[in-house]
Amino acid sequence: MDPYYVQQLAIGLSLGMIYALMAIGFTLIFGVLNVVNFAHGEVYSIGAFAGLLLITAFGPPLLAVFLLVLAVGAATGFGLERLAFRPFRRFSDEASLKSRAMREATLMSSLALSIFTREAMELVFGSEFQTVPLDYLINEPIALGPVTIVTGDIIIFVAAAVMLGGLQYLLTRTATGRAIRAVSNNPLGAKYVGINTNRTIVLTFVIGSMMGALAGIMVGLYYGAIFPAMGFTPAVKAFVAMVMGGLSSIPGAVICALIIGVSESLATTFVSSVWADMVAYSFLLLTLVLFPQGLFGKGRDRV
Amino acid sequence: MTAALLEIEEATRRFGGLVAVNEVSTHVAEGELVGLIGPNGAGKTTLFNLISGFTPLTSGRVRYRGRDITGLKSHQIGRLGIARTFQNLRVFPNMSVFDNVSVGATGAVGLPFFRAVAGGRRRSDAISRRSLAALERVGLVAQADDLAANLAYGKRKYLEIARALAMHPDLLILDEPAAGLNESETAELAAFIRSLRDEGLTVMLVEHDMALVMSICERVVVLASGQKIADAPPDAVRRDPAVLEAYLGVDE
Repeated sequence: MDPYYVQQLAIGLSLGMIYALMAIGFTLIFGVLNVVNFAHGEVYSIGAFAGLLLITAFGPPLLAVFLLVLAVGAATGFGLERLAFRPFRRFSDEASLKSRAMREATLMSSLALSIFTREAMELVFGSEFQTVPLDYLINEPIALGPVTIVTGDIIIFVAAAVMLGGLQYLLTRTATGRAIRAVSNNPLGAKYVGINTNRTIVLTFVIGSMMGALAGIMVGLYYGAIFPAMGFTPAVKAFVAMVMGGLSSIPGAVICALIIGVSESLATTFVSSVWADMVAYSFLLLTLVLFPQGLFGKGRDRV
Repeated sequence: MTAALLEIEEATRRFGGLVAVNEVSTHVAEGELVGLIGPNGAGKTTLFNLISGFTPLTSGRVRYRGRDITGLKSHQIGRLGIARTFQNLRVFPNMSVFDNVSVGATGAVGLPFFRAVAGGRRRSDAISRRSLAALERVGLVAQADDLAANLAYGKRKYLEIARALAMHPDLLILDEPAAGLNESETAELAAFIRSLRDEGLTVMLVEHDMALVMSICERVVVLASGQKIADAPPDAVRRDPAVLEAYLGVDE
């Protein structure tokens, strides 16, 4: 096989991992609340800007940047839930937890918060690309035999794999994870067995936003392009991955995110980069037409 | 007289103009098996929801072991030792039978977040033991690894009871446990509830199945249109004219 294609495959995988990190945020929140968080793309931009500010102010090692971005992501998720979601959950019975009115209200409130945040960032930083100090760009080429990839591909892949592995461990092996799964299975039942559902919901926002923020800074340093609207495209791709994966299936979303990433990268290679964005949308259309439950959806078992 | 475990004082709940529960006062003594009956729409489930903190009271108080629990959140009430099951089952369908029960065991312990994440072998062993014991009690150990959604309906009822038992409650509230069960299953359930009582658990039972309530409960509280119309041993309730009227619609 031509090494060039292997290279594109590697790039596609790291791109897919970014989408996967983003898709987790959508999926977790959809699981517990049955709502789509439209402000998720801004979490990504906030992560990138937080990292950039830290880099320009102190120039710490890369790992410290990532850790701070994770903390900022956690705080963002916490605030997001407070501002855009909590106010519409005054009644905690199951009917309002999963009601349409509540869902539509938070669609609006999260969209409003997203627009507000993006505009505020543009006001402060301007809408153009920020320059990233060259030392921090993660695009050193690495030659693996005939294939050349960059450090960023490896860093993204490893960091995302660690995060996803950690999440899987959390969800399946710990009491906290069982609580999250219990709330997404049946919020009211979970409440009565002593689970603090509100805290669990906040936790899903915190986890999802940590992953989103980390994805933002990694992409920012990979391409050297950090700007307030940068979160839009990956959020759309991640949203498609969530829908393809069956809305609340985490493994499904991750697999579909990787499929989208690799297909985009291959589309860039074989057709042109202009067509790459079409890939995700075509997948979305095909999924909705052919597999309305998503590729990994479990049908309507969550009434 | 044994100490009252649960005291309800003039509990009232209005939904707009409808008074679902109207100044109902009663109590449950430690170790008692109390039935709560009434025609459809009498306010039985609402009263349960008031006790378990799901619906806030409009007025009145609920006391548990002498402590005022009015206004506490339902997960807090759950941790105090009041466990309940639901009329329409609320098991976690996409989790294994064992995980369902261990959520109950964990929730009751109320792990602080970081310890919950870190796990802690000793603590999680305790949770596993508790969960297994509860499954054993209802006879579902063999199905521990099955998905809850794959259990037969009757078994899911027992799973829900096991989940409640894993919380080590002092008061178990069962909301229509016999609904949808056939005669032999109901008899089995009656024996099971009795055995729980015999082990010292206090049980409160809402049930449509009069025969079941009359055969196992020591005392029966009857609600009609949100009001308590009787609170007596089964035999007395059976003869009570107010109860007969509520159930049979006798003209005045």
